[in-house]
Amino acid sequence: MKKFLAIIKVFWQKSLTYRFTVLAYRVGEIGETLALILMWSAIYNGQKTIGALTLPEMITYILIGNFFNAIIRNFLSGLIARDIKEGRLSIFLIKPMRYFDYILIQEIGRISFVTIMSMFSAALVIIFFINTFIWNFDIAYFSVIIVMVTLAFVSELLIAYLVGLIAFWTDEVDGIYSTIDRIKKFFSGGYFPISLLPVTFVQISFFLPFAYSFFVPAQLYLKKIDLSVGLKGLLVQIIWIVALYGIINTVWTRGLKKYEGIGI
Amino acid sequence: MVDIEAKNLSRTFEYYRKQRGLSGWLKFLFYREKLHAEAVKDISFSIDSGELVGFLGPNGAGKTTTLKMLSGILHPTSGQVKVLGHIPAQREKEYQKKFALIMGQKNQLVQDLPAMETFIVNKEIYEIPDQEFEENLDELANIFDIHNILDIQVRKLSLGQRMRCELVAALLHKPKILFLDEPTIGLDVVAQKNIRDFIKKYNQEKKTTIILTSHYMEDIRELCQRVIIINLGKIIYDGKLDDLIRKYAPYKLLKVIFNGNGVKLEEVEKFGEIDEFHPYACTIKTKRNEAKDTAIALLSSDLPVDDIIIDEVDVNDVIRQVFNS
Repeated sequence: MKKFLAIIKVFWQKSLTYRFTVLAYRVGEIGETLALILMWSAIYNGQKTIGALTLPEMITYILIGNFFNAIIRNFLSGLIARDIKEGRLSIFLIKPMRYFDYILIQEIGRISFVTIMSMFSAALVIIFFINTFIWNFDIAYFSVIIVMVTLAFVSELLIAYLVGLIAFWTDEVDGIYSTIDRIKKFFSGGYFPISLLPVTFVQISFFLPFAYSFFVPAQLYLKKIDLSVGLKGLLVQIIWIVALYGIINTVWTRGLKKYEGIGI
Repeated sequence: MVDIEAKNLSRTFEYYRKQRGLSGWLKFLFYREKLHAEAVKDISFSIDSGELVGFLGPNGAGKTTTLKMLSGILHPTSGQVKVLGHIPAQREKEYQKKFALIMGQKNQLVQDLPAMETFIVNKEIYEIPDQEFEENLDELANIFDIHNILDIQVRKLSLGQRMRCELVAALLHKPKILFLDEPTIGLDVVAQKNIRDFIKKYNQEKKTTIILTSHYMEDIRELCQRVIIINLGKIIYDGKLDDLIRKYAPYKLLKVIFNGNGVKLEEVEKFGEIDEFHPYACTIKTKRNEAKDTAIALLSSDLPVDDIIIDEVDVNDVIRQVFNS
């Protein structure tokens, strides 16, 4: 526990050292959300509903979904790949702590910081759309959403970690990362609610981990999805997390045998 | 007691050859010629508890690769290595708490924060009790004189200050074994001397086993009684530095200073092989056992001798000879 706090503290301090970067990210976040809202307002153009969502529901979907996504997403792949490529991993390999644990703790530190910041920027935008934003304070739904977002954070972290580890063989992972990122965004409903697509597509995406980081929690918030579907989703997430963790362990062991610790 | 034991240790790296230019890249996309480099070839050695051993060798000789295998960063391709009874590549926590690896060219300190923050993180990672941490830190901060820079961003420190902080970070958990990879690289002479003095003191006081690699002969000469010389992945010498000097440098250097009108080359040539000559100073190479007699002969001759220094051959020259032979 003390290890955990010590590393988190260091990460907070690092984040605070670069206040400008933290702020700059928020500007982009707000800008993207506003652009999406503008776009959908133009598409609705007087229409009552699109894909069973009214305009206020769509705006709420975008706001709440992007808020979840800001908490869930990470930039780990590049960081891990760099550690491997440039040999910085060696510094962690000689310490009595697993690299994975270090990364995980550091991410929790980062995310706790980002969450607070994102809450501010989300609050700003919500104030702007206060008349259209739909509030939901249902405890049951809320609890499922919180668990789902937490699990989505873990599964995204594992995916990014796994992609980063590919650097043991390829040195760079930017290409595969950006491909996966796009697929992820599409399946997660980040571009548009996947309910607009054919039913089979939606059914498939419920078996993938991506929908749980945007579409499903946002739809739960809007009560467009039944609570039981949400609970089933948690199960799917847990299965993914266990599978990913297993794969990571194998890849890590094999990767280390390949590792050359270049640069030192 | 044997601390480190390596038996037939080898490590091979894979790499690819790419033909020059853009067309080379296009070919590279479809076909890559795989090559193997043997960084370390079948080396064996053992190091006793409390020894301070110097690893010598040119760039790419395999020194760092060996250290990386000893610290568990790299898996050996073949052969075995045991350090304090542990197999390093298994990376057991128990083993990791017993050693430290310090790399002159890579740092563990968080660059954006003061060194103190890294020390605190290390304290937790290595599970050092509060009181022990305070005592160690205080002692090390005194030795390295870093009390006044503990709270300054690492990025803003000079290279010498940073290296001192790196050493403190690596020693907080009181390692029994220390792997030092080029600890003085890039430092000025004063800073080099400081680091050297410390290493010597640390080895003597704490009886820590130390392996040191360095390009600077001064480091090796001042610190190590025993040297292991590696070239092209193989050990070409393992023994006392003194023996090595005696074997490869069977002569001493007499540095003679003259006053008055100086001397002519013919006048000093009869005393031995002339290494350097100037009318007021020359260096004469003589056999080890003849050095004293030659000095006496010089003093009792008519030459205007002002001073004579009997010196060892430069270790660099010795090593160069070892590599050439």
